Amino acid sequence: MKDRKYNTLKCYLWSLPSLVLILLIVIFPIIYTGYISLTNMNVYHWTNYSFIGLENYKDAILVFDSGFIKAFVMTVIWTVTSMILQLVIAYVLASLLNVRGLKARNIYKTFLIFPWAMPGYVSILLWKTGMFNSQFGLLNQWMNKLGLTAAKWLNSDWSAFWCCTIVNLWLALPFMITIIDGALQSIDHSFYESAILDGANWFERTVYITIPMIKPIIGPSVVITIFTTFKQFDVIYLLTQQVGAKTGANIHTIMTYAYENAFITNNYGYSSAISILIFVILILFTVVINRRQKERSV
Amino acid sequence: MSKKTKNIIKLTILNLFFILICFVTLVPILYAVSVSLNANNSLLSSDFSFIPKNITFANYKAVFVEKPIMLWFKNSMIMAVITLVISLGTGIPAAYVFSRKKFKGRKTILKTIILLYAFPSLLSMTALYKLLVPMGLINTKIGLIIVYTGTEAIFALWNMKGYFDTIPYEIEEAAMIDGASPIQIVTQIVLPLAKPTIAVTAMMVLIYVWNEYIFAVNFMTGSDTYTLAAGLYSLQATEMSGSWPVFAAASIVVSIPILLVFFALQKNMTTGLTSGGVKG
Amino acid sequence: MKKRIISLLLSISMLATAGFTSCGKKSAKSATANDPHTIVIWHDKEDAVTDVLKKKLKTLEPDVKVVLEKKSDLTESLKMVGNDPNSAPDMYIFAHDKIGVYAEMGILEPITNLISKDDLSKFMDSTVEAATYKGKVYQMPLYYETLLFMYNRLYMKDEEVPKTTEELYSYMKENTGGGHYGFAEQHSTPYYATVWINGFGEKILSKDGKAKLNTKKVKEALTYHKKFVELQPGETEYATVNTLFSEGKAHSTIAGPWMIPTVKEKGMDVGIAPMPVIDETQKSLSPYMGVQGVQVLKNAVKTKKASIKKVLKVLMDPDVEIDLAKASGCAPAQNACYDQDEIKNDNVVMMMKQTADNAVPMPNAPEMDVMWTVLGNLMTDINLSNKDIDESLKNAQAKADSLIKSMK
Repeated sequence: MKDRKYNTLKCYLWSLPSLVLILLIVIFPIIYTGYISLTNMNVYHWTNYSFIGLENYKDAILVFDSGFIKAFVMTVIWTVTSMILQLVIAYVLASLLNVRGLKARNIYKTFLIFPWAMPGYVSILLWKTGMFNSQFGLLNQWMNKLGLTAAKWLNSDWSAFWCCTIVNLWLALPFMITIIDGALQSIDHSFYESAILDGANWFERTVYITIPMIKPIIGPSVVITIFTTFKQFDVIYLLTQQVGAKTGANIHTIMTYAYENAFITNNYGYSSAISILIFVILILFTVVINRRQKERSV
Repeated sequence: MSKKTKNIIKLTILNLFFILICFVTLVPILYAVSVSLNANNSLLSSDFSFIPKNITFANYKAVFVEKPIMLWFKNSMIMAVITLVISLGTGIPAAYVFSRKKFKGRKTILKTIILLYAFPSLLSMTALYKLLVPMGLINTKIGLIIVYTGTEAIFALWNMKGYFDTIPYEIEEAAMIDGASPIQIVTQIVLPLAKPTIAVTAMMVLIYVWNEYIFAVNFMTGSDTYTLAAGLYSLQATEMSGSWPVFAAASIVVSIPILLVFFALQKNMTTGLTSGGVKG
Repeated sequence: MKKRIISLLLSISMLATAGFTSCGKKSAKSATANDPHTIVIWHDKEDAVTDVLKKKLKTLEPDVKVVLEKKSDLTESLKMVGNDPNSAPDMYIFAHDKIGVYAEMGILEPITNLISKDDLSKFMDSTVEAATYKGKVYQMPLYYETLLFMYNRLYMKDEEVPKTTEELYSYMKENTGGGHYGFAEQHSTPYYATVWINGFGEKILSKDGKAKLNTKKVKEALTYHKKFVELQPGETEYATVNTLFSEGKAHSTIAGPWMIPTVKEKGMDVGIAPMPVIDETQKSLSPYMGVQGVQVLKNAVKTKKASIKKVLKVLMDPDVEIDLAKASGCAPAQNACYDQDEIKNDNVVMMMKQTADNAVPMPNAPEMDVMWTVLGNLMTDINLSNKDIDESLKNAQAKADSLIKSMK
C-alpha cells in the first residue's frame, strides 16, 4: 500500500511539468472564460465589471436558434467528410510511398508536406485569390482555355463547401500522411510474408493486417485531428465569410456562427457564456458518440 | 514479360503519379513563387503564367535587405529550439508514465485533457494575457514560449503516449531482468524505439512555433521582437499599402527552413519498431 | 536511484522557475513605459506617412524621444493592453471610427485636455465633429480620406464621365462585356456600398445607437443599386476590383486615394471626377469620411502630460499635413492648408475636399462594430446570393437589433 502511494506520487512528479503547462495554458483560460461568463464585462463595463450571475446564459441560449442547429449539422458533415477523405487519401498516398524500390520517396514526401510549412492564413489567401477568384483565379483561367464557362467557385453553398473541404485537405494531409507513413513503416514485413504464403490478397492484407496494426498508432493523432477539424475557423471564415470579402455562400460552422452572432459584439461576458455552452455541447456530443461506439463494439 | 520489367513499369507509373500529385499540391505555392518573381505589384493578373514575363529577384532582395528578416529568423530559431526542448523534455516523461504506469487519476486525466481540446479558444487570448501580465512575461520570449509549450503539451502527451502504448512492455521487462536501471531502460531502449513519434511531435511543435502569429503579434510589441510568422503577418499587403510580391517572397523564404528540417528528420521518422527487431 | 531522479527533476524545475522570473523581469519594457521623455506611438500606416511624421518628430530630440511602432491588429491589441501602462502605447494614430469603443472602455483622454480650444478651431469642423463622441473630442485630426470616383482616360473620355447615375448605368451597359466592365466597385463591401445608402439619405446608425436598416430609403437604395451590381463582377473584395481597374479591365471605379500611386506607376492616365448624382434623389453618391488622427491614452497622460503636449504641438504644424498630402495624397485637416498653392494645385486632394462636402463622417459609436458585419451580410444576401430584398432587410434589422442589444 505504502509502495503504491509512493509510485503514484512518483508518476505525478514525472508528469508534473507537462501537467502544470496544461493547467496554465489550457485549463486556466477555460476557468477564466467561465468566470468572465458570469460578469458583465463589455465595452461599457471594461474594467468596472461586476458579477451578474447567469444573466449572460439567459441571453446566450437565444443564439442557439435554428441557425445554430444548421451550423451544428454542417459542422458535423464538414468534420465527417474531411476526416474520411483525409484518412483515405493519406492512407493511399502513404501506402504508395512505401512501395519497395521507390527511390525518390523522400523527395516526394518533402514536396507533399510543403503546405504544412506555410502559415495557414497565407495558404488560404493563396487559394482564395490565386485559385478560386472568379475573375483572375487559375481555375477559371484554365476553364477558359478549355473553352468552358468560368464558374463562381465560392458563390454557392454547395461548391463553396467543397472548395473549403479541398483547402482543408490540402492543409491537413501533410500531417496525416506523415503519421500514417510512420505507422506503416513500423509494421513488421514478416506479417505480410506469411499472409502472402497463406494466399491473402491485397485487400485482405489491408483489412486484416495493415489497418488493425496502424490503428493504435495513428489513433491519438486522429482523435486530435477530429477536434481540430470540428473547431476549424480560419478556412471557412477566410474563404467565404470575411467582412468585406464575402462571397455569397452561406455556410457556417459553429465557430463562424458564434463569431458572427456573439464575438463581434465585444461583450466578453456574453461571448464567454457562448463559448462555455459550445464547449459543453461538444463534450456531450463526444461522450454520446463514444458511448454509442462502445455499445456497438460490445 | 519478366518480373523485373513488370516491376520497372510499375515503378515508372508510380513515379509519374507522384510527380503529378506533387505538382497538383504545389500549384498554389508555385503561384506564390510566380507572384514573388513578378515585377508588377499585383497578387492577381489576367495573363498569369508560372514563369512571369518580367522576372525579377528584387523582391527577394527586398526581403533580405530592407526587412529585418534575419532578426526575425533569429527570434524564431531561439523560440523554436527552446519550445522544442521544453515540449519534449516535459512531454516524454509524462507520456511515458501515462503509458507505462498504472496510478490513481491516470485515466481521468487522459480523458479530461483530450476533452479540453474541444474548447473553442477564440477567447483564450485575453485570459492568457491576464495570466502573463502579473508574471511580468508580456513582451518577453519566455512568455511566448510558455504559451507555445502549453498549447502543444496536450498534443505531445497524447501523441507520444499513444505510440509508447504500442511498444511491447516485454522488452522492458527483459531489460529489467538483465539488470538495467529505469533510466537506462528509458534512454537506451524506449526512446530509440519511439524515435518516429518523437520526430513527428518535434515536427509538429516546430511548425506550430514557426507559423504562429496571433500570440506573437499581440503579446510582443515592436517589430524587432517579432518572430518570422509575426513579421510576415505585418508585411501582408493591405488595401492601402504594402507589396504583394515582397509578401509572397517572404512566405516562400519562411517555409524553406521547415522543409529542410523535415528532409533531415525523415530518416528518424522511418526507423520504427521493425529496426529494433521486435515482434508483437 | 529513485531519489536521485526526483532531486534532479526538482532542481530542474526550480532552475526553470528561477530562469523564467529573472528573464521576465529583465526584458519587461518598464524602462520606456515610465520614462516621461519617451513617447510610444502605435500606428498602422504606410512608410510614406510615417517617414514624414518621423522627420518632424525628430526635432523634439533630445527633449522628447518618440518611437513610432507599426502594429498589426492594432484595434484588437488596444482592447487587450489599453489599461496596462506597461504594454500600452502612449498614443496611437488611427481612423476616428473606433473612438466610441475606446471612450466607453475608458482608456482615452479627451484631446481638449491637451490642446487648447483655439488650436482645435484650426481644424475643419467636419473633422472635429467626426472625433466627437458623447460631447467630447477624442482625437487631434491629421488628415482625412474619402472614396473617389476614378476613371481610366484610355477608355472613358473626360466628356464621357457620367454626371448622374443613369448616365453611369448607360455607360456600363454599352461598355460591359468581353472581359471589360464599364464600372466596377466593391459592391458588397459595407464601407464602399454605403455610398449608395448615404446617397439616398439614410444613416444606418442613428445618433442614439439604433440600427436603421429596414427602412424605405435603404430599400430604395439597395433595389436601385442592384441593377448596377448585375453589370459588375461577382466578387466584392478589393484585390479583384483594384486589379480590374489597374489592368484596364474596368473603365471606372470608386476607390480610395491610395489607389492613385499604384495605377500611375502602371502608366495609367487616371482621371478623378465628382461622384455621380443619383437621378432620383438629386444627391450625389456620398462616401464615408474617415479622419485619421492622434488619440491619447488616459494612462499616459498621468505620467507624461508635458511630453505628450509637445508631441501634439509639433504634429499640429500645418506643414506636417502639407507634407503628408505631397507624400501620400492625404487631405489636410486644417483649413489653413487649403490656402497654400501646393494644396490648391493638387487635384486629388482638392477633389477629396469637394467630395468631403457631401460625405458622411463614419459613425464612431461602438454599435458600428456590429453594423459592419450585419451590413456586409445584407449586401451579400441581396447582391451575391440573390435573396429577396424585403426578407433580407427584415432579417438584417432583427440581427442588428439583437446584436446591439447583446453588446450591453
